[in-house]
Amino acid sequence: MSREAPLSVAERDFILKALQENTRLDGREADQFRPLSISFGEEYGHVKLQLGKTSIIVRISAEVTKPRDDRPFDGLFDISIELTAMGSPGWENGRTSDQEASVSHVLDRVVRHSNALDTESLCIVKGVSCWSIRADIHVIDYDGNLTDAACIAVMTGLQHFRRPDAVVRDGHVIVYKVEDRVPVALNITHKPLSVTFNSFNDGRDIIVDATLKEEQAAEGELVIGINSGGEVCFMSKFSGAPLDPLSIVSKVNVALEKVKALNAQVDKVLQVDLAKRAKLGMADESRAANDR
Amino acid sequence: MVGPTASLSNLHRADGSASYKCPATGFAVLGAVNGPVELPARRDALKPEEATVEVFVKPGNAVPGVGEKYVEGILRDVLSTVILRREKGLPRRGVVITLAIVGGEATERGDSYLTLLPALLHAAQLALISAAIPLPMTLATTLLGVTRSGEIIRDPSPAVAKAATSLHAISFSSKGHLLMNESLGRFDFDTWELVRQQAATICRGAATPGSDGDAAMGGTDNAHVDGFVRETVEDHLHRDYNWKLESI
Repeated sequence: MSREAPLSVAERDFILKALQENTRLDGREADQFRPLSISFGEEYGHVKLQLGKTSIIVRISAEVTKPRDDRPFDGLFDISIELTAMGSPGWENGRTSDQEASVSHVLDRVVRHSNALDTESLCIVKGVSCWSIRADIHVIDYDGNLTDAACIAVMTGLQHFRRPDAVVRDGHVIVYKVEDRVPVALNITHKPLSVTFNSFNDGRDIIVDATLKEEQAAEGELVIGINSGGEVCFMSKFSGAPLDPLSIVSKVNVALEKVKALNAQVDKVLQVDLAKRAKLGMADESRAANDR
Repeated sequence: MVGPTASLSNLHRADGSASYKCPATGFAVLGAVNGPVELPARRDALKPEEATVEVFVKPGNAVPGVGEKYVEGILRDVLSTVILRREKGLPRRGVVITLAIVGGEATERGDSYLTLLPALLHAAQLALISAAIPLPMTLATTLLGVTRSGEIIRDPSPAVAKAATSLHAISFSSKGHLLMNESLGRFDFDTWELVRQQAATICRGAATPGSDGDAAMGGTDNAHVDGFVRETVEDHLHRDYNWKLESI
């Protein structure tokens, strides 16, 4: 079975010693994210996110299906993440790894179970038809902190995505093409994001947004899912060295600050992109070749 | 017609990578190659004297199904013929090719992957070149649709492909071998022969027997696919060896 190349003893010692002196390999502060860049594809809900050297593509899609029998008023929402050999040679194609399971668990909890996407608004006809929203995550380059990067990308994708308009007329569901009617944005109730902390040196040094090397040298991991309003919707401390409860409380505040900053950045790129699209749409309308 | 665009080695972690985008069909594919790697999990399936080629196709926004498995088989067969699997260092190793569909319309369940084959093959091939896997020749692939009136259309858009009576994905090596012939729909042999001739022109330029095929290169109007592959790789090499060229 292939796996990530382990860190050498010298590298591990170097990282730990440097952290004791409050220095990180790339010169960042302990609670500083790597530069985040988000761009969009041609279609709605196609997000390309780059966090340092970690790079992810998310595609959101929608189709009409039958709701589940026990929840006739709810639409469906799925997040699928599959780690392929493209992201890292340590991942094997067609085989689920522990990392894949843990990332998909966090995403499930932070985005899906916190009801960030209002699934009731996806219902078209009770018990007969509803929208099924699907988020596909393609990890194309992996350099640590997959969870946070994927979380930001999925949330950005959901906010960017527009589903076709559907109406019910005489008991029939009519789905309008994107060209025929302005597509509708999804109903986002709140914007939670996850922030992953890694602890070193018996919990004395705790950093955010670890690179792959820092992750490998870490002794423990703490994931906090929180929205801009300061409501914690997920917290996990599965394994690794114990952490002081006080530091967890203080890290929640750090996470809140980070989530606010990240959400502000996401909002900004979204607005820029939507303005660009609106302008393009106007240009299309006013073109002479446009058949009216 | 707007030609396809491609770029090489745009990922950090994979040994080789390439992205390929075809504006006519709207498909964008990202390819990554890792190799030669150890494949200990399936030791019994390894041949003692040659490398194993593994292909994995990841759909853009759908659950992977039988369609992907089927197209993986086709890609594996075609790419196995252009990889020098007995070269030194390759036997008993694996060449893992991962292709992610990152743009274009979703293929419906049960739909054929024929329309995607050229994009997938080109992305895979350019990624192989980027990973420096030994290849004796390159390949050029094209998709042709035959409409109800018998007209042959190059790189049909998804809507046109759906309405076509038959679809053909044809692949030629840079030495002129017919490497792949996948067809769908109803057609007779005469139609296929016409399609093959046109595909040969598209893939390899004007059919001039005996010439080495570099006469039509550089033209934009009648640019052939083989030339496109060549130019992409040339550009990439030029950038890679820039330091060397500067010092001469």
